[in-house]
Amino acid sequence: MRKPDQKLIFIIAEHHENKVKSVVFELAACADKIKKICPAEIKVIILGREPEKLSFEITHTTGLDAVAIEINELALYNAEIYKTVINNLAEEFPPSFIIIGHTPCGLDFASGLAVRMKAACITGVEGLSEAGGKICFRRQMFYGKINAHITADSEPVIITVQPGIFEPYKPDNASPGRVETRRVECAPKFTLAKGIRRCKFQDSSISEAKVIVSAGNGIGAKENLDLIYRLADIFPGSAVGGSRILIDRGWLEYRQQVGLTGAQAAPELYMACGISGASQHLAGMRGSGFIVSINKDPGAAIFNESDVCVVEDLNKFIPVFIEEYGKKTDP
Amino acid sequence: MKLLVCVKQVPESDSSFIIDDSQKWIYKEPLSYKMNRFDESALEEALSIRDSNKSVGLDVLSVGPENSKDIIRRALGMGADAGIHIFCDADGYISPFVTAACIASYIKENIYDLIFTGAMSEDYMQGQVGPLAAEMTGMPCVSFVVKQEISPDQKSIYVEREMDGGLIESFELTLPALLTIQGGINKPRYPSLSNVLRANRAEIRTINSDLIGKTDPKQINSRITIPEKRRDGYVLSGSVQEKAAKLIRILSQKAFIT
Repeated sequence: MRKPDQKLIFIIAEHHENKVKSVVFELAACADKIKKICPAEIKVIILGREPEKLSFEITHTTGLDAVAIEINELALYNAEIYKTVINNLAEEFPPSFIIIGHTPCGLDFASGLAVRMKAACITGVEGLSEAGGKICFRRQMFYGKINAHITADSEPVIITVQPGIFEPYKPDNASPGRVETRRVECAPKFTLAKGIRRCKFQDSSISEAKVIVSAGNGIGAKENLDLIYRLADIFPGSAVGGSRILIDRGWLEYRQQVGLTGAQAAPELYMACGISGASQHLAGMRGSGFIVSINKDPGAAIFNESDVCVVEDLNKFIPVFIEEYGKKTDP
Repeated sequence: MKLLVCVKQVPESDSSFIIDDSQKWIYKEPLSYKMNRFDESALEEALSIRDSNKSVGLDVLSVGPENSKDIIRRALGMGADAGIHIFCDADGYISPFVTAACIASYIKENIYDLIFTGAMSEDYMQGQVGPLAAEMTGMPCVSFVVKQEISPDQKSIYVEREMDGGLIESFELTLPALLTIQGGINKPRYPSLSNVLRANRAEIRTINSDLIGKTDPKQINSRITIPEKRRDGYVLSGSVQEKAAKLIRILSQKAFIT
């Protein structure tokens, strides 16, 4: 039972193909951090056609209680159903915070839900702290070169949390939380979900590489990618990757994309060439062992995540690097 | 059929951002601006609908300070029919709730069948204005759209959106609807000379929004800071050759190269 002075936190659990998304456990870690600042009861909310089984995975791993809401109409994700059902639940049990993943799915309904609930909404949260009795949420701005510290002027507060920041919440010896299963009906009025398909294929070449040499917008022209491949040739067990913009332009293939909507990689060495370091890219490579960045912009956000920083135009630096390396190996 | 595209001006990505004395915002002065990359894709998507049906009207809207007119003119140069500027000169951070309320109040008084925004702005990266404005006006909304096709009877639209892991979700929405467009899904056209000449003469309808300062911003930007370094960030010094030699030494010591 929740004590009278306790607040309520909802975590919205995203799932796909009968699997709970790993970000859910990071959201639980974020909720736990909020709870340490203001005492609260945490409830994981999971919506779906058959959400109960999925909820057990969460309650067993985290020890948190869950509400599994069975909705027959929710065979496929539908923003209208999510907004309506969560809003109805929030009217019954008003939460102070709702924590959602900063994912294409989470971002799709978080803001609309905020309007319905007359809630504040802060997206892309990467950290939080206490400030004058309120919680201050940290998020990136201006290409990752600035952090903004945002507070909500009222409760409830909806936040979307950047994946890959919070350490997944998996306490030892947690006794499983309780699951409350509900069944509701909710027919969407304006939005009909038609289907889901895989259009781009990933392979393991990026996620298993020991060394990744990655290119970003700073490459300038497609021809310059040759430099990246030549640089990668120097390292045994290497693969060439890139940030999203190069995949959008068709210069690299989707399987080479590192970042939020691409591969999550943690090689021993990551060489970021002409990559600015926006949070979407960092989400895919932050766990790398050693990070070297080459960028002509000394203020590039990638330098905050790097072990070694080379402030140079990659198109000037890499040829010299390859030449110097050649001198070393063929005396 | 009438389309509206919402666009925003953003500072160039290689700008230096310097925190001002208030510690709450950046100095605006040395910055140069461009159209948000996601909004360019949104505009191109709308223009492509009009290319195949000349009877479609296409307006472009921007909420922001005086220099927002520059990107409205650029949008007119790319082919939009008319520009609307909701003037808002708030100094510093503008909450997405305020921007969305401005757009929503305009949409309520001016009928559009389809509204486009970028999936997010490159500078604030919130991804909120589109979905907020849609909900404020009671329209269905799909975000991160990569493909759209209006039904022959112009009463609904088929859309595909991008999820993580290379998956695509598809939906059918009743019009009017709002789509937020993923960046890079098309090649935004360059302004044409004839359109640019027209754009330079065009009158941009300016609305002085009385909503600014009246709308509940819901969130307060208490301060901004320079992100902390999360790793050593050892900066190599010297000439290009010296830096290359130093990097080779470091990578050899770490046994990444032999």
